[in-house]
Amino acid sequence: MQERTNEQWLTELRGPNPNEALADLYDLLVRGLRAALGGRAGGVDANIEDFAQEALIKIMSNLDSFRGESRFTTWAKKIAMNVALTELKRRRWRDVSLEDLLARRTATGRGLANPQLTPEQVAFQNMVLAKLRSIIDEELTDKQREAMVAVILEGMPIAEVARRMGTNQNALYKLLHDARKKLKLRMEAVGLSPQEVLAAFDEG
Amino acid sequence: MLDRGDLNKLVRAVAETRESEIGCDECFEQMDRFAEIEFFGSVAATTMPLVHDHLRNCEDCHEKYEALLIAIGVG
Repeated sequence: MQERTNEQWLTELRGPNPNEALADLYDLLVRGLRAALGGRAGGVDANIEDFAQEALIKIMSNLDSFRGESRFTTWAKKIAMNVALTELKRRRWRDVSLEDLLARRTATGRGLANPQLTPEQVAFQNMVLAKLRSIIDEELTDKQREAMVAVILEGMPIAEVARRMGTNQNALYKLLHDARKKLKLRMEAVGLSPQEVLAAFDEG
Repeated sequence: MLDRGDLNKLVRAVAETRESEIGCDECFEQMDRFAEIEFFGSVAATTMPLVHDHLRNCEDCHEKYEALLIAIGVG
């Protein structure tokens, strides 16, 4: 495969004979996807090839948005990774509803205190948990609570949660950011430093 | 709703929170530049702190960034 500068990539891809550049770019994307996804693409090369094809379409229709701040191939690979990971997560989570995810969490606490802790340490942990629960109830909106549980606690991809909540990933990130800021302010106001809390619960 | 097992994740997320953070779109726009700086041995956190913070706070974007680093490495 010939080495190309950014300018050469753009000129060839926009030119009357883009096929060679397209083929080289496709090969680059497939190689990158294979390395990055490992066994996650279902062990079937057809998935990788589909992702590369879809990425090529997005790349070609967004050539004007390439800002030249990185190598063209890096920018193109970024798009390919986004295409692949978004689709893989959509497949992985497609049968999980937000309602089921939230319903799994009961009002009673799960998880017992480490039996090796002193009574004072257990009491501190229980106090922190109780305080945090009331801060969450008082400070966060219903949407913020749902998003926080789904994304931060249950690990559901933010794009998947956004889809189910009828919004987009960017907006949901901002919603979560606002929630985190509120929690941080309240924790500091009641004398709960996040670092101290983490240290108190570090039982490892 | 919140239990002992959740505490670490939640408090860690709160501890990492900054007053100003960029969103996923803005992080994605700059991710290729950030990834190349890191790949070629510099510390992108100092020149692109907002991207660095977002990647620390957003699992989805972090995963895309890690995949991109690997893809850059295979040439």
